[in-house]
Amino acid sequence: MVVVVLHLMPPIRHLLQRCWQRLERGLLPAVCGVQSPLWGLAPAVQAPACLPEPAAGTAESGEGPGFLGGVLWMAAPKKRRSIEVNRCRRRNPSKLIPVKRNIDVCPECGNLKLKHVLCGYCYAKVKAETQQIRREISKKEGGAFNAPTVESVVLYDGEKPTEKDEGKRIIERARKRPSWFIRN
Amino acid sequence: MELSLCESGWFAAGSAFPLSCIHTSTSLQKLGKWEKKNRIVYPPQLPGEPRRPAEIYHCRREIKYSKDKMWYLAKLIKGMSIDQALAQLEFNDKKGAKIIKEVLLEAQEMAVRNHNVEFKSNLHIAESLAGKGHYTKRIRLHGKGMFGIMKIVKCHYFVKLVEGPPPLPEPRKTGFDQAKEYVQQLRSRTLVHTL
Repeated sequence: MVVVVLHLMPPIRHLLQRCWQRLERGLLPAVCGVQSPLWGLAPAVQAPACLPEPAAGTAESGEGPGFLGGVLWMAAPKKRRSIEVNRCRRRNPSKLIPVKRNIDVCPECGNLKLKHVLCGYCYAKVKAETQQIRREISKKEGGAFNAPTVESVVLYDGEKPTEKDEGKRIIERARKRPSWFIRN
Repeated sequence: MELSLCESGWFAAGSAFPLSCIHTSTSLQKLGKWEKKNRIVYPPQLPGEPRRPAEIYHCRREIKYSKDKMWYLAKLIKGMSIDQALAQLEFNDKKGAKIIKEVLLEAQEMAVRNHNVEFKSNLHIAESLAGKGHYTKRIRLHGKGMFGIMKIVKCHYFVKLVEGPPPLPEPRKTGFDQAKEYVQQLRSRTLVHTL
């Protein structure tokens, strides 16, 4: 059937030859619209060559040769920021340190403290005394897991246990009672 | 035979002539401009003149901190009284705050001891600056055999204390004031090149 066509239309034969060469190369840009049933193999080869091309073309329009094209779309500074512009940004009032208005004087020791925070000096002195008491406790207990099941009471120099302290464990501290540690 | 000064100095141990002592220790590092400002001596004031307030210049050199970060703290305490500045720095979490607080306390003590300041609270901070110190460059290794050059950054901190209460902050110019100034400017125009 194809041979009869070739004999009858020589210009079409030339066209067919060119189209076949192009098919072999794998590209068929303009002729893809002409899909006559004469070319049995042609539609099978043409369709995948035709349809993905516009789709692929739109997808790869930005990227071109694979991953390298992605670099062109990275954000980069266009111009060097002058020192005036830098200063405007760095010295903006939002970036300056705000002046604190919640500083008070501790009524006990006279040092400065923030309103909603314990005085640092008083906390440090209580912490030191607590550490000494804990040392005495550990000396008495002599090990881990030896805590008794009764209450403890701390007595300083020259203090005797009262009736309220009966049945309690007594921890001795060899110093004068600090003024802030009131005895109940 | 003339003995040179140094030789005569060495033989001075038992001699009766008190020769000038030789400085056996090395001299202090070259004084910067800020340190030299404390050495200026004014002539005595005349009876009618207003009292010149005492000025104390103090600084600390080569602090291991960034000058840009130090600038924020310097800007915070500029123009405050010394007590207020110490309070603000005490409750600030930055590394430079502790250093500046030490510098201020040193300066306050210097003021009372050497510069005839009566009350240590009667000082305010006239100037407070941060400057760039010496930078050392080091190599910082990145991945894939790449490297960068990192700078180890140091700064200086300068402070000038002046006796007296802190000056009042300038009142903000209101729109009304600006308008008045504009009208005044218009009114003070004169005609030129005319009769």
